[in-house]
Formats: sequence, structure tokens, C-alpha cells
Amino acid sequence: MKVYLPFASNELKRQMAYKGAFYLFLFISLFGSFISYYLWKAVYGSANSTTIGGLTQQEMIIYVFMTYVTSSMVTISLADWVSEDVVKGLVAMNLIKPIDYRMSLIWRAGGQMLYRFLMPGVFVWIGLEFYKHYALGMPFVKFTTVLCFLCSASMSFLLYVLFDFCFGMIAFFTTYIFGMLMAKEALLSFLMGQLIPLSMFPGWAQKIFEFLPFPSMVYTPVMIYLGKYQRSELVFALGRQFIWIVLLYALGSVVWNRVTKRLVVLGG
Amino acid sequence: MMIEVSHISKSFVSPKKYPGLKGAIKGLFSTEKIEKKAVDDISFSIKEGEIVGYIGSNGAGKSTTIKMMTGILSPTEGNCLVNGVDPNKKRKENAKNIGVVFGQRTQLWWDLPLSESFTILKEIYDVCDEDYAERMEFLNRVLELQEFFDRPVRTLSLGQRMRADLGAALLHNPRVLYLDEPTIGLDLVVKENIREAIKEINAKYKTTVILTTHDIGDIEELCSRIIIIDQGKKIYDGSLQKLKDLYGAKRTVSMEVRNYNQKKLANLWETLGVKEEDYETEYDKEQRILSVAFDKNKIHVPEILTAVMSQMEVKDVQIEETQLEDIVKQIYHSGVK
Repeated sequence: MKVYLPFASNELKRQMAYKGAFYLFLFISLFGSFISYYLWKAVYGSANSTTIGGLTQQEMIIYVFMTYVTSSMVTISLADWVSEDVVKGLVAMNLIKPIDYRMSLIWRAGGQMLYRFLMPGVFVWIGLEFYKHYALGMPFVKFTTVLCFLCSASMSFLLYVLFDFCFGMIAFFTTYIFGMLMAKEALLSFLMGQLIPLSMFPGWAQKIFEFLPFPSMVYTPVMIYLGKYQRSELVFALGRQFIWIVLLYALGSVVWNRVTKRLVVLGG
Repeated sequence: MMIEVSHISKSFVSPKKYPGLKGAIKGLFSTEKIEKKAVDDISFSIKEGEIVGYIGSNGAGKSTTIKMMTGILSPTEGNCLVNGVDPNKKRKENAKNIGVVFGQRTQLWWDLPLSESFTILKEIYDVCDEDYAERMEFLNRVLELQEFFDRPVRTLSLGQRMRADLGAALLHNPRVLYLDEPTIGLDLVVKENIREAIKEINAKYKTTVILTTHDIGDIEELCSRIIIIDQGKKIYDGSLQKLKDLYGAKRTVSMEVRNYNQKKLANLWETLGVKEEDYETEYDKEQRILSVAFDKNKIHVPEILTAVMSQMEVKDVQIEETQLEDIVKQIYHSGVK
């Protein structure tokens, strides 16, 4: 544990070293959220019913911004780092140290997660709560709900990075995965419920989603925050996240062992 | 024995490539594979505290061997033990015993000040505060790290970075230090510093050092023993002196002469009774320099000098011993005697 802590703290420092990139990221992603906010406003304004996909307009506003808060924390692309390490031949530099490569990456991602949570995340969240209370006239979120959300979001983070590690392993076989990384991001933003709530998909598609890890990455914690899950459903949703973490962890170990056996370090 | 390598081999399998566009299409459907042996049945053992030069031409398999000894690559056949640990089976345990510098890469954190990298390495290798202070004091003295200790690694010059990398590899006082081209691209002064540092470390901590390099100076200054490999096979293992004795028998005498005459020279060899394959002569018309290369065991320098001087007017004489570089070149070209 103590061994990996510096990876997290260093990533934090590294993030702060590149201020420009950070503000750009902040601006672009917030901008996207406001676009979808106004889009949904227009959709609800012209709709016949007051709920779409089981969400009222107020809930949709919360959904849009909480999705922003959650996904900025959760979607930390480990695979980018893996592919960078592979292309530059830096995997070797990691293997000469008495550490586990995956653990060091996860801790590094943890550092970035913390930074994103502190930097825009928490402020957007608080701002949203005030907006909700004073503009929409809804009560503040319950403390237990916040706890459940944070618990679920942390598992989402683990789930995402474990999945991304497995995905990044492709880089060892194909060397260059930039295109695949772009495709992954586009596809995942759909499957995680980042673009539109999964409850708006047709029934059969939602059935399929039940068996995929992706809804557990962003959609689940946001729905928990909205209070859409009752007791047994809540336990089931959290349990499912946990099971996916275990499965992806095991998968990652298997793939990593195979990769290191046939590792070819680029550049001599 | 600090390092025991026995019958180690590594082959890389890659899909067969065909030439041209037609070939590229063929390649899509072909399942033919080419197996290339990068390292072929190499064995050696190294004692504690030795500094061993591991040399060979580009692509000879030097780095591949090093990578198997560090646990990065797993050997196809054979095995090795480093300080009693098999790096392939217990990579992490082995990693605590070794320090590695790959001259062309860095293990430092690119975006952060150098000091941060050292703090992380301190945690990773679990170096206690006392050891850390002592080690840093030593490294500062031999590598002069303090002058750029607070600068981000990406702003360091190549020489500074290499010193920093060497320091980073030594922070946990490893039993074995692997240096893969540690002086590549450095100027003479920095090279000299790095060599001095390696010597001091070896003397103080009895660190075993394995060094691959193309720089003959590194080897002449540091290594008492060298291993030469070519096309994955070990072709020489022994002391530097022995290698010089074997191959360094060639001498070259260069003389600046007046009234050069080829006929006279030919007569001269006859009177000396020397066979034609034992010498090589060359005459540089512009600078009027006659150089004779010969085997020092068969002809003696004074003989040549008196013979030439009896026929021609000699203004200046220079005698050169064969450089290690020439020996290595010779071995690369024609193999071991």
C-alpha cells in the first residue's frame, strides 16, 4: 500500500503541473453538459408527457450534471498510459522495479480521480444542490444517499480502470491503439449512460445491458443519487458492481500473465 | 557466484512478411512464421564485485540477455540465477537486488522535479531514512546531483539525466547493476565522470556491474573481463589482457620518408627474409608517409627501421599498437581465431 501511494500523489502533482490542459478539459466537458442541459430543456418543452424514460425534467437536469461529476471522476483512461508505455518502450522500466504494473497504474488513476473530484467535481455538485433547492424547489439530497452514491462511484472507478487495463493490454498485441481508444470512448459514452439515460433505450436493449459491466460504471451511481433504487434494488446494484470488479480483476491478471510471457520490448 | 546464466536462449516469433503490395495482401492470409534466435545458448557466471563488459555489434543480443537477467523477458530455454533468485519466476524479488540503467530510456518521472523521483524510489524500494541520507550524500558527491535536483526531469540535459538515472538505479544499493549503454551520446567530460562514479561505486559497495557498450573507452577503463557475443552466440569470454595478447600482436610503423622508391622497398623485404603475408605496406604520396603493418612476433621494429633507413631518408617515426576497437572490429568481421 505504502509503496503505491507516491504514484497517486505524483499524479496529483503532475496534473497540477499542466494547468492549461486541465482548464481546457474542465471547460470542454462542462460545455458539453450545458449543451445537453439545453437540449433536454427543448425536448421536454415539446414533449407531450412530463416524464421521458422515467425521468421528469428536474430529474433530467440532475442526471445531466451528476453524470458529468461521476464520469469525470470515473473515466480515467488507463489504456492511454499503457499504450504510451508500450509505444515508448517504458513497460520495461516498470518491470525492473519491485512493483506490480497494474497496481501502480490504478493508484496513479486514483490520484487523478481525487484531483478531478476536488477540482471541478465537488463544486459542480454543490452548485447543483443549491440550484436544485432554490430554483427547482426540491429538498437537499439525503446524507445516506450521498454515502451510497460515493460508495457506488468508488466501485465504478475501480470497475472502469480494471476494464480499461484489460483494454489497454490490446496495445501489446497491436502496438498502436489510438484509433481503438477513440472508438472505445465513443462506444462507452453510450453504454455507460453518459450521453442519454439507459432507461430510454428499448426494452430488449436494456435486457442486454443487464449482462454488461458498462451500466455499472456511470449509470448506476447516478441512479442511486436520484433515489431510483429501493432497498433490495440498491443492494443488488451495488452487489453487481462488486461482482464485476472481481471478474475484471481476474481477467486482467490472466491477460497480464499471458502478455508478460510473450512480451517484446520495442526498441531493442 | 553472483550471476549464473546457463544455456539461455531467446527466440522471437514474427509473422513472415512478403515484399510488395502483392506480398502485403498475401501476408494477410499467410500464417507462416519466422523464428529468429536473438540469444542462442549462452552460459557464463560472474563473481561478486566484478565489472564485466558485455559487447557485441548492434542486434547481437546484448540487450536481450540483459532483459532476461532483469526479469523483463522470459527465456525460451535455459535459466539464470541472480543472487540466488530466478528473475523469470520471482521478478519482484529479483528487482530489489538489481539496479538498471538503459541509456536510451529513463526510469525517472518525466514531468516532475528530480527530487520527486528519488522520493518515490525511496518508497518503492523501502529505503530507510538513514540509508537514504547516507546514499544521497554519496551520490551527490560522485554524480553531483544537487545542481539540478529541483528541476523537472524533462528540462535536464542528456548528461545530467544520465547521472540522475544512474543515481536512481543505485539508491537502494543493489547487489547487481546493469548498465545498457550508459555513456551513449555523452561528451568526453561527462563520460569520464560516469566512469569514475561506476568505479567508486564498485569499490565502495562491491556492486557487481554488467555493462554493455559500443564505447571501447568504457571497456578499457572499467572492465577487467569481457564477454563478446555475435549473432546470439558467445564468442569470447576472458580477460581484456588475453584478448589483447591474442589479437593485439599487430603493430604499425609510420615513417615520413624522402626519396621513396618501391623497387628498393621490395628488395628490402627479400633481404630481411620476410614472407609477404606477414606485412602490409602503404604509401601516402601527398604526406610522404610510408606505413608498415606487421606481426610483432615475427618481425621486430628495429629490424624494419634499420632496413628502411639504409635505403631511404627517414624524417619521422611513429609506432602504434592495435586499438581494442580494431580488435573488436576484426572479431566482428571474421570471428574468433
